[in-house]
Order: sequence, then C-alpha cells, then structure tokens
Amino acid sequence: MIDLLHHLPLFLAQAGEHGAPAAHAAAEHGADGAAGVGGLLRVNGTLPAWSAYLPLLPLLGCVLCTLCAIFRVKTRLPAILTVALLAVSFVIAFLTYQHTTATPGAQAALVHLWDWINFTGTVKTSSWSAAQTLVGNFSFYIDPLSCLWMLFVTGLATLIALYAGEYMGHDLGAGYCRFFMAFNLFVFSMACLVMGDNLLLLFLGWEGVGLCSYLLIGYFYQKPAAVAAGKKAFIINRIGDLGFSMGIMLTFVQFGTVEYAKLFPMIEAYLVHAQHGQLDQIPFLVQLIPVLFTIGAFGKSAQFPLYVWLPDAMEGPTPVSALIHAATMVTAGVYLVARFFPIYLCSEWALPIVAWGGAITALLAATIGMAQFDIKRIMAYSTVSQLGYMFCGLGVLGAAGGVGHVFTHAFFKALLFLACGAVMHGFAGQLDLRKLSGLNKMRGWGVVTWTMLVGCINLAGVPYITAGFYSKDTIMGDAFANPHTQAIGWILLITAGLTAYYTFRVFFRVFVGPKHYEPGDEAHAPHDDHGHDPAGGPALRAGPGHSEPHAPGPESRSTHGAHDFHPHPPGWAINLVLGVLAVCAFAAIPLVLNLDLLSDKIAWVGGMVRHSTAGVNPPHHDHAHFLGFEDVHGAMKIVSGIVALLGIGIAFVLHYAGRTTAATSRADALLPRLGPIPRLAQHKWYVDEIYDFLIVTPLWWMSHIFHLIDKLLVDGVVNLAGFMPRVAGSLVRKQQTGVLHDYAVSMAAGITLVILVVILYTTGAIGGPLAATLGGAH
Amino acid sequence: MNDALLTLAQAGFPAPMSQATLMHYLVVSALMFGMGLIGFLTRRNLIIMFLCTELMFQAAGIALIAFSRFHLNHTGETFVIFVLTIAAAEAAMALALVVLLFRRKETLDASSWMQMKG
Amino acid sequence: MDGLISPILLYSGCIVGALGVCLALPRRGLSPQIIGALVFALAFGILMVGLGIKAPKAGLPNFNFYLFAIIALGSSLRVISHPRPVYAALYFILTILASAGMYVLLSAEFMAFALVIVYAGAILITYLFVIMLATETPTADQVEALADFDRYSREPAMATVVGFVLVAGMTTLMATGVPGAQPLNTGTTTAADLNELPRRVETSLRSAGLIGIDEHIAGDEAGHQSLDLAPSEGPARVRVTYGQGRTREITADDARWPRDLQLTNIEGIGFSLLRDNPGSIEVAGVILLMAMLGSVVLAQKKVELDEAAKLAAQNRSLASTLTLDNSPLMARTIPGAPNVREADVRVGQNPGGAA
Repeated sequence: MIDLLHHLPLFLAQAGEHGAPAAHAAAEHGADGAAGVGGLLRVNGTLPAWSAYLPLLPLLGCVLCTLCAIFRVKTRLPAILTVALLAVSFVIAFLTYQHTTATPGAQAALVHLWDWINFTGTVKTSSWSAAQTLVGNFSFYIDPLSCLWMLFVTGLATLIALYAGEYMGHDLGAGYCRFFMAFNLFVFSMACLVMGDNLLLLFLGWEGVGLCSYLLIGYFYQKPAAVAAGKKAFIINRIGDLGFSMGIMLTFVQFGTVEYAKLFPMIEAYLVHAQHGQLDQIPFLVQLIPVLFTIGAFGKSAQFPLYVWLPDAMEGPTPVSALIHAATMVTAGVYLVARFFPIYLCSEWALPIVAWGGAITALLAATIGMAQFDIKRIMAYSTVSQLGYMFCGLGVLGAAGGVGHVFTHAFFKALLFLACGAVMHGFAGQLDLRKLSGLNKMRGWGVVTWTMLVGCINLAGVPYITAGFYSKDTIMGDAFANPHTQAIGWILLITAGLTAYYTFRVFFRVFVGPKHYEPGDEAHAPHDDHGHDPAGGPALRAGPGHSEPHAPGPESRSTHGAHDFHPHPPGWAINLVLGVLAVCAFAAIPLVLNLDLLSDKIAWVGGMVRHSTAGVNPPHHDHAHFLGFEDVHGAMKIVSGIVALLGIGIAFVLHYAGRTTAATSRADALLPRLGPIPRLAQHKWYVDEIYDFLIVTPLWWMSHIFHLIDKLLVDGVVNLAGFMPRVAGSLVRKQQTGVLHDYAVSMAAGITLVILVVILYTTGAIGGPLAATLGGAH
Repeated sequence: MNDALLTLAQAGFPAPMSQATLMHYLVVSALMFGMGLIGFLTRRNLIIMFLCTELMFQAAGIALIAFSRFHLNHTGETFVIFVLTIAAAEAAMALALVVLLFRRKETLDASSWMQMKG
Repeated sequence: MDGLISPILLYSGCIVGALGVCLALPRRGLSPQIIGALVFALAFGILMVGLGIKAPKAGLPNFNFYLFAIIALGSSLRVISHPRPVYAALYFILTILASAGMYVLLSAEFMAFALVIVYAGAILITYLFVIMLATETPTADQVEALADFDRYSREPAMATVVGFVLVAGMTTLMATGVPGAQPLNTGTTTAADLNELPRRVETSLRSAGLIGIDEHIAGDEAGHQSLDLAPSEGPARVRVTYGQGRTREITADDARWPRDLQLTNIEGIGFSLLRDNPGSIEVAGVILLMAMLGSVVLAQKKVELDEAAKLAAQNRSLASTLTLDNSPLMARTIPGAPNVREADVRVGQNPGGAA
C-alpha cells in the first residue's frame, strides 16, 4: 500500500504518457479500430432532461413511504404509491429508450443533474507536480445497455411491487411502509448503478443495493436466521466491494478520471493493442483493474467463492427474493462486466477468470440445487447457477449471450419466485417439496401451476419454444466456438441437463401428482434450512434413504393439520402478475432469437448490446468445430435441446411416474447407489462449513486472543495506573477522619512547622542557599 | 533602633515608640492568638469555635495597630478596618451556617458532622 | 534577640503558659481552672519580666498596658475555658474592651472606637442572638444542664502544645526579626498632608491667635503655594489674606505657632484609606455585600432534618407537650378561645408542639 502511494506520481505520469499515444494509436489503426471501437465509446447523443426522473421517482417513492411510516399509515397506500411511481419510471425508461434509438448513430448520451464530487489536488514530488481532479457528477450515461437494464429493472420492479402489495398484506401497518421504503430505495440504487456516468455514482448504487438487500433480507428482524442472513449478505458483499473499490482507485490512478465519457476514449488505445493480440504492451496495472472489478462482480452476483449469501437471502420476504434474483442486485455484477467489457478485453486474465468462475459456479450450484428439498432454495441455487451462465457468456467473449440471458432470466426467474411465493403464501410457509403435491388439482391454483410450468420450461431450456433456451444456447455456442473455451462449454452443457432435471423435479413433485399438503409451521415465515438445523436431523435422514419409517409421522401431522388448515389460493394481484410475467417470458423469444453480434439479422437484445460499450469487437480467435459441425450455434441448438429434454425425462421418470405419495419417489431408491454424493450435495458440499473452518473460526479465535490481550495487557496497564493511586489513597485515607478539629490541628501544626523552619533557617541552624537569601548575616 | 525612624515622629503620633515597647504588645498579641487557636482546637461548640476565630482576629488587630504605631504609618490601622470587615462578614455568614447546621441536627457539636470521613 | 528577651525566660514562660492553659481548659474529671489561671498569670509574669529586664527605661510601656494586657489575656482565657457559650461571648466583650484600651495606648483612638462599636456593639450581639437561637430546648429536669460538647474540651493537651509551640515560634521570630529586612520608614502621615487641609490649619491658627477673625488662608490664584507646612528648607509658612487682596505670611518661627499643628489619628486614617489605598474600601464593600447576599440566601434555605434529628425532635415535642399538660398555662387556655393565641406563642417554639 505504501509502495503504491509512493509510486502514485509515477502512475500519474504513466497515465499522462499513455493519454497521448491513445489518440495516436486510434488514428493509426483508424481503418479497423475506429469503426468498431471509437463510435461505441464516445458520447455523441443528447437526451431530454426528463429522463433524469427515471431514478428520481423511486427516490421520491422512498421519501413518501418514509413519511407513511412516520404518520403510521395502516392502509395499502405505500404499495399504491410504489406501483404508480415505478410504472411511471418504466414509462420514462421506455421513452428514453425510444429517444436513444431514434437518432441513428447515437450510442450514448449524458444527462447532467448536478455536481456531486469535485476535488482538485496537487500531486507533488521533488521533481514535478501535477494538478489532479476527481470529478464525480450526479449525471447519467445512457446508452442502449443502460436502457435495456432500466427497462427490465423498472418493469419487473413494478410487477413485483404489485405482487408484494398483496403478499405483504399481513404486515399492514407494522412493516409495510418499511418494506416499500427499502423497495424504492433498492430500485433507486439500482438505477444509480446502471445509469451513473462515472464509477463513483456506480459505486454509490452498488453500495446502495447492498444496503437495501441487507434491510430487506433482514426484514423479519425478530427472526435470528433472517438477521444472520442479512449480516451474511452484507459482509460477503463487503469482501467483493473491497476489490471493486480498489479497482475504482486503481482506475483513477491509472487514467486520472472515473467518468465514462473520459475513461472509455482512453481505453481505446489499449483496446487497439488488445484487438491485435498485443496484450504485453498493456501495463500490468491496467490489466489488474478488471480483475479487481471481477472480485466485486462475483460478490454482488453471487459467484463462486462468494455465492454463499444468496441462498441464505431466502430469509427475506419472497418478493424481495424475486427482486434480488431477477432484476436488481445480482445482475449488477453482470452489468459491471458488460459495461466495462472494453477494459476486460484489455486484460489477459480477467475474462478467463470470469468464464471459469462462472462455469464452476454454474455446475456447483446446479448440483446443490438437485439435492435440496426447499423449493425456494432450489430456485436460489438455480439463480446462482444461471448467473454462472451469464458470466460464462461474457467470459467467452459472447457479451450478447450473457446480457441476453440476463434479460430472459429476469422474466422467468421472477415468475418462478413469485409462483413459489404464492405457494408459500397459500400454505402458511410450507416450502418442502416432500410435503406438497398435486397443486394443479386444487381449486384456485391453476394460474400458479401453469405459470410455474412456463417458468420451468424456460429455466430448463425446452427447445424452440422458450426464451431461456435461446439465450442459454447462445452462451454455450459461444463457448464451443472458441477452441480455448470448449471445456467450459462441456461444463455448461452438463449443467444444462442438471438444470432441467432439478427444475422439473420441483414441478413434478409439487404441482402435479397425488393431491396432498401439510401447512407450514408459521404464516409467511420461510421454513427451511434443514442443513443447519440440528433438529432437522430426522428430516435429513428421511430424505434420501429412510423415507419409509418416517412416512407415518408426516402423514399423521398432515391429517391433523388438514382439519384446521385450508390453503388460501392467491388473489387477483398475484395471479395477474404471474400471468403478465408468463406472457413476457414468451414475448422475450423473438427479442433473443439471434444474438450473434456479427450477424445482420440480429435480434433486439443483441442490437442493444452491439450499440453499447459491450459491443466492441473482441479479438479474433480461431473458429472451432463442435462435434464435427461447422455451424456451432446451429448444432448447439439441437444438442442442448436434447440434453434439456433428457433432464426433464429423467425427472419425469424419477419423480412423477408411479409416484403415489408426496414424500416418496423412485429417486429415493436410486440415491443409496450414488454413494456420498447426494449427501454432500444436500449439505451444499459443506462450503459454509469450510468457510467457517477456514475463515470464521480463525477470526473468532484471533479476536478472542486479541480480546484477552486487550483485557489482560492493555486494560491491566491502565487499571494498574488507576490502582496505584487507589492504594496510595487508601494508605492516607485514614487521616481523613471527618472531624473538623483534626483538620484544624493539622493546619495549625503545618503553620507551626513552617514558622519553625523559617526560624531555623534565619538563625542558621539549618543552612543553605535559602538561609543566604533570607539573610546571609546569620 | 533606627534613628532616622525616630525623627519621623511627627503628625498623628505623640512620640516614637521603642522596639522594646513594641515587643510587649506583640507578646500579648501572640499569647492572645495562641489562646484563640487553642480554643478553636479544643472547644466543640460551633459558636465558641467561631468566637475563638474572632479572638485570633483580635490578636492580629493588636499586632497591626502596634506596628502601625511603631512605624508611624496609618496603613496598619487601615488594615485593621479590613480585619473588622472580614470579621463582620464572617460573623454574618458563619453564624447563618451555624443556625442552618443546628436546624439540621439539633446540636452544635462540631464532632457530629463527619461526612468527610475518608 | 538577646537584646529584647532572654530565650530561657521566653521558652520557660511559654511552657508554663501552656501548662496553665491546659489546666484551665474544661475536661473530664478534675478541672482546676483557678489553678490553671494562676499558672497562666505566672507565665505572663515571666514573659513580662523577661521583656522588662532587657528593655531600656524608656522602652517600658506604661502601667496601663499591663492592666489592659492582664484583663485581655485573662478574659480570653475565660473565653476558651468557660463551658457556657453566653459567658464566653460576654468575656469576649471584655477582651474587646481591653484591646480597645490598648489601641488607645497605641494612639489609635479611631480604631478603638470602631472596635468597640463594631465588635462589642454589632458582632457580639449577633453572636448572642445566635446562641439563643441555636440552643437546644431544655427539658424540665435539665434546665441547668450543659451539653457534653460544652462541658468537655477535646484533646486539650495536644492543642495546647500546638498553640504554644506556635506562640514560641512567633515570639522568637518577632524578637529576632527577619535579618536584612529594613524597617519601613516611609511615613505617610507627615505635616505635608496638612497642606491639603487649609480650613483645618486656619482654624488651628485662629484658635492660637495667629490670625484674626477676618483673615483667611489665601487661595493659590497667584500661582504660588500659599500653604507649605513641610518645606524643603526653612520653617513652615502660611500665606493669609486680609481686607481687599492684601496678604501676609506667617511662619513657624512665630512664637504663637501652635506646637500641635499636626494630623490627628482620624485624619491620618482618612488619608491612608481614601487617598493611599482607595481600592481597599471598594474591596471591603464588595466583601460585605457578598456576606449580605450569602446570609440572605442561607436564611431562605429550607432545611431537611435528617432522620435521627427528626426522631429527637419528635421525642422532645412529645415531652414538652406532656409538661405543658400539667402546666397552669395549658389549663388556662382550654376554656377560653381568646387565650389560645397566648398558648400558641409559647408552644410555637416547638415544631409540631401545638397539636
């Protein structure tokens, strides 16, 4: 750190030096560089000022909901306000999008609100000094990428707010206003993150979504599990944010600015090098920036090894989960990589790290998801897994595939979560797929079942009829198209099969089959976490192999429960939102049909990506064949479709065909043959325990040791300093008798003593300098 | 004995005073002061204790007047005015306090106030 | 020191005096107060003899000094040894009067009168009032009884030793003087001060017959000093006018010049107080004001009795009510309503006693 500070002037000098060659190089490589690079990274458009209302409306909603909380509003007013404001935001986002794409050739526009941060300082060394300005305005950088993000963020947030208005009804008055306050703040933070025109504003939004996720995950703050989950999310995000903030600082040190409008043109010079394969000409520290950004993105987007917070985030209310998983928080990391795709291209290691991190996460989360029983938790792991796909897409240079998967995933994941939330809402918190079955046969659950099916086929990637199929397929095709990343492609292909299996495992277990239900133990409180709870031991054993002995137990409870419990089917708001989302999931198909950036018939999402900073031309690589096919993407469609159908089929055989009870299935017979793997997967590969052992326990011991040092050594010294006067005081305390006369006697004796000393001095009985002063004669 | 001092025996003072005469007065003053001190230390009645402080004031006054006479200088007498002032002020305050203390404990015994015991 | 008092006599006098005071103080058991007083007188005699031996004939104070000294010291011994506060206060008045006598001997007449007026007249009366206010209500059977704290003094021996070591030290220091310290010789009460009192000089000269009834000391309109009673050279002189602007000069050479033309004691104090130390009178005023404020604040304060005292007061009031029941006064108050006030006055002294 000190070394870095010491070299700061040097870096600045470097930045200055590199600034000049940048323009030079751009001109030099004008023929092939400027067309693909310069136009995308330069601000050349204008936007009307009203587009600034887009983020400000959620902020207004936040303020209004706070006022509602202050005035103890007990109605659904906060929900109505939120839905209305977010709907207007969505409309503004749509108009902004239209405005942005209306003028041909315009890629990005700046909307300046007000000056926010403006520091000017002088860096001095013995030899030279330079003025350095840190500018971070509250202004927005709007290009197709931010438009795309804001469209689905505001759109989904509106729908989820509408859903939450009904879902959170039981908390009317108590936490209702608080919920919607944080909800609005969440959307505002996400808007700042996506639309900010500089890294500081992005970081503000970045921290804002972290804060809001903490507030919302810990919404049921009386539940210890919710509090712990909130803390976990916050702390793990801090780890990622540390890397990200270091990346921002390094960016400033290297480029002298954090504003996109100035930053991206500077990157061009390096990008030209990168596109010609001359990565060794790019300074090491510039190559380090995207790696640091990746740490932040992995923390925020729940990638290995920082993914552990997201499954625990289920403790929050379900709409929050939907919001976090579908639209806002976790896509922030993907957005960061897509936005800074040019810098990532300049780094030798950043994109491989992204790709491999994504692939490992995808596979790991899918295997864990296969073994879970809590349907919401399965959805959480599927999110982690799908986020892995998105990072893979970006990491294998297929920015459009990654972003497209964000887009499609947003709809079907919101749909899946809200459907799960409806189940949880209706069955008093019951989420265990062994205790629910045959929902399609119950009155009022039709919409939920059908929309759930739509979500499931999207997540599983059923060929040709689902949007999720096309976006996922693009990612896998991009991976196989590059000979260096074919291993990643295989991992993703296997994961696709696993995804199809665990998705339909949920569907076949819960939504079809024999009719059966047991209510949850408490209304709306998520009931899960078998893995951690010691009391959940029997349930664990009941899962894989010993289901028969335990079957009577749940049955008896179920008959008992069935007498006094009646599931209440979702109301119109929930059904409406689910229906709209299902329609959206299908409507997204044509938008992601073709995501090949070089193609002429590129679909809408791909076009949006192509005209943003993520659309810069990646360096050319050799084209690989897949299983002998020349057209990798075309072959991929068939292969991945087969894999998905295979997964669904296995799920059908194991979990639907011949199943007579809710708790058992054919899979139970199969599990013991697989050895310890199901058990390990059910315990999430013991990742939490490993973290506990590697990080938490040493920290705990260290803090205890330091606590002891503080208590014994530091406090001891301080207490000793306090103790000595006490001892001295207790020695002389007996003199303080409290009797007036004793004080008077000592006073008189003191005076007498002074006079005697003076006499002795003046008579020379005891001599010395004082006697000489008083009168040397004596 | 300073001869120059004797020549100053002018206005206000009848004749110069010898140092031996001064010593007589000072011995009486010292004895009276000692008596006041002893009284303050031995007597337990708050009122008598304050009377003893007045006695000490009085001894100081005699010494001041004697010095004033010896030095043929009125400043000593001016100082006695101060002593009277302080004595009057002290009497007013101290006696008010004594009355308060008495009302609280219904006794004038100084030893009954031991709150400052360490 | 040897020139003023013999150390042997001084210290033996101090020891004997300590013995005397110690004997005279009230104590448990035998309390030979008369013997103590005599021993103390002996000590005083030893000291006076010690002083008288070394003093020249002119240095001996006059007879009145010994008289006043004996009265002052004897009565102050009584102040500290008398068990009854009232008597102590009265003896203190005697001390004050004797001190005032000594002031007169020291030609400080004004201070002597001030002392008597302020101390004996004001402060001591306050003391007497307080003694009456702050005396425990005597019960019927112990009207004459004294409180323990009045009857027995506290550690008389130690206090006496401390006190007389201090006396010996002070006396030694007085006799030795501080070596090298020069006596103060800037007398301010010179004849020059009379220059500022022309009317007083005029009256003095007129009564001496030096100037007539129509003559006045001239103003100094001519620019020269018309009154110079302490000239740097030559005799003191005064210029007087008579008739229409005619002046003549009178000098101290004149045989009729009053020999006692000098500042009186009170004039000297006036100059010292108001001209030489003008701030001091302000300070004294502020001190008195503060004392007055303090007394007012203290007098307004409501005092909470502590538990023990409350209990004692209850017991006392109960006892006094019982005695009142038997008294003829109480018997008289019961039938007639108009007499109730009389009883209230009597009973009102005891808190809660009227019930």
